[in-house]
Amino acid sequence: MEFEFDDEQRLLQRVVRETVTRTRSLPEDQLWDTYLELGWLEAPPVELAIVLEELGYAADPTPFLATATWFAPLAGRLPRGSGTGVFDGEGRFVLDADRADEIALLTSEGVVVRDGKDLAAERLSVFDPTLHVARVDAPDLVAGVPDLALMGLAVSTVGSCRRILDLVVAHVKERHQFGVPIGSFQAVKHKAADMYVAIERAKVLAYFSALTIAEDDPRRGRAVAMAKAAAGDCQRVCFRNGFQLFGAMGYTWENELQIHLKRAKAGDLLLGTASEHRKALLV
Amino acid sequence: MRLAPDPEVEKFRADFSAFLDTHLPTPEEATVRSKSSADIPDWARRWQRTLFDEGWLLPAQPPEYGGRNATLPQVVAHLEELSRRRIYHSFNPQGLNIIAASLLTFGTEQQKRDWAIPLLRAEITASLGMSEPGAGSDLAGLRTRAVLDGDHFVVNGQKVWTSGAHDADVLLTFVRTDPDAPKHKGISVLLIPTASEGLVRRPFGSIAAPDDLDFNEVFFTDVRVPKENLVGPLNEGWRVANGSLGHERTLLWVHYAERMDGLIQDSPCDEEWYATLQMDVQALRLLGYRLLGADRNPVEISVLKLLGSEAAQSAELHALEHHGTEALLHPVQTGPYTHMNIEAFTASWFERYARSFGGTIAGGTSEIQRNIIAERILGLPR
Repeated sequence: MEFEFDDEQRLLQRVVRETVTRTRSLPEDQLWDTYLELGWLEAPPVELAIVLEELGYAADPTPFLATATWFAPLAGRLPRGSGTGVFDGEGRFVLDADRADEIALLTSEGVVVRDGKDLAAERLSVFDPTLHVARVDAPDLVAGVPDLALMGLAVSTVGSCRRILDLVVAHVKERHQFGVPIGSFQAVKHKAADMYVAIERAKVLAYFSALTIAEDDPRRGRAVAMAKAAAGDCQRVCFRNGFQLFGAMGYTWENELQIHLKRAKAGDLLLGTASEHRKALLV
Repeated sequence: MRLAPDPEVEKFRADFSAFLDTHLPTPEEATVRSKSSADIPDWARRWQRTLFDEGWLLPAQPPEYGGRNATLPQVVAHLEELSRRRIYHSFNPQGLNIIAASLLTFGTEQQKRDWAIPLLRAEITASLGMSEPGAGSDLAGLRTRAVLDGDHFVVNGQKVWTSGAHDADVLLTFVRTDPDAPKHKGISVLLIPTASEGLVRRPFGSIAAPDDLDFNEVFFTDVRVPKENLVGPLNEGWRVANGSLGHERTLLWVHYAERMDGLIQDSPCDEEWYATLQMDVQALRLLGYRLLGADRNPVEISVLKLLGSEAAQSAELHALEHHGTEALLHPVQTGPYTHMNIEAFTASWFERYARSFGGTIAGGTSEIQRNIIAERILGLPR
């Protein structure tokens, strides 16, 4: 097997990074149009993972993740506008269901696609006000989480964690106490190093799962469970160490760290925590 | 990225596997155990010699040095095949992978002939004299002195943790040749025969048993070493050290993966740690394969060392606890019998956990690895 990006994938990664940095302050609808123009919604699994990691890094405000990894694998097509999917058998905590143009429902009769407006999903009040999750009321729902949805959430969470680490590294280089940057203290270094290792572990497992989906490999079910569990492990380390190393500044609303901490945590709590996916690996 | 194996690598793997099927020593031949990491029983000397002759010993080397000019992914396949069967290619691993390998990189033609080839052919064994009582993590602080006197160096000082020294024929020894230079600059490397006058070795037991003798203290008192035993240029020993250990470190992750695979086989259960172990070994392999690719930062080896050694240790602890009070028993069989690697299965759960600390202490402690990651990958100030 070969486990590094080819030239085209490297180029895509660079383009996504540059685009995401350049468009950071654009309003949501313009961001969305940019993603559509660049064809990111049509990207195959590994390329999609590259896009999602960077959108996770940027705490993307659009419904891209739900459209590409919750709607598309269920409906087998892209939606008119944005979309999401209901596949938990209950319609609880459905990502972006309150603003999706189309919603794919996994029912006992198979997949049914409904107009978002007709379902009138009720947005839930959550700790992260930028996160759209909603309750969908519909009959005959059954459970069956698409592999792509687990991979997508895992790799987005890796992106959030990378952002947390970058913010922390910049902070501990800048912040002086006792006459030196706090990043020169070994206690600080070791926490940062542990974040880095957790991110690398989660990242390779996320990309491996994308690769097994791309090649429809029989290992894909286990691979996505590992990816989701490792992303969960990773956010635990990055949330705890990242928050702690930022000191009181990370405790404020103004500091952007809070956005990424919340995204990372949501990435674990949605579609099953690390512990639940570990249990899935044991059966 | 692709899942399909490289045909060149798979062909190589199949060839090696076929070779192993026909040439492995039988249980009847392999009755005598190795007593230390520099003690090779006669049957294992013959085995290593066969590997050398057939080009399967150090596959990346050319045929005259026991290889077949293999690529790095092929070398990984070689190690994986050995690991999968839980067998060793040499019972003097540091002599082969560190000392012979660095002689082939840094040695003179004569040193390759006189020392590297006999090491490769298992005619002699070697140990690595690096650590000292005052120089462990701070290896560059080593104080064993070598002073040039005519055509000899005169060596005085002490080494410790010198694995297998009491059974070795020669020590690759790091010595200070310029006490006035900054500490990384005044180090040189000497091949010192253990039979030299003034050289005393004292083996001491490990945590496993008083007669589990691998560690040594080595004392040098006016030991005279011929000038031609200098390896690499004078005062360039730090470069040799990085190169020597580089050989070892690049693929060290394969051994951690092997350890963890062993545990997956030996202690199946339905507890969460068992899933974590499977994730860790999978992540370790993927990171290892990724590192084989071009333009990766070699410092990333620290990530693999840290992840591999700590994940293995954590899993060994869980396995120990999983067996509850029974885990006190020692010795006890905890793995399948493999005649080439008898140590692995006779170790009790307790011993296996204790031995996992070799991974987090030797070859750069976990603390040093975290410093390296923080300073050289994340760019935090020293």
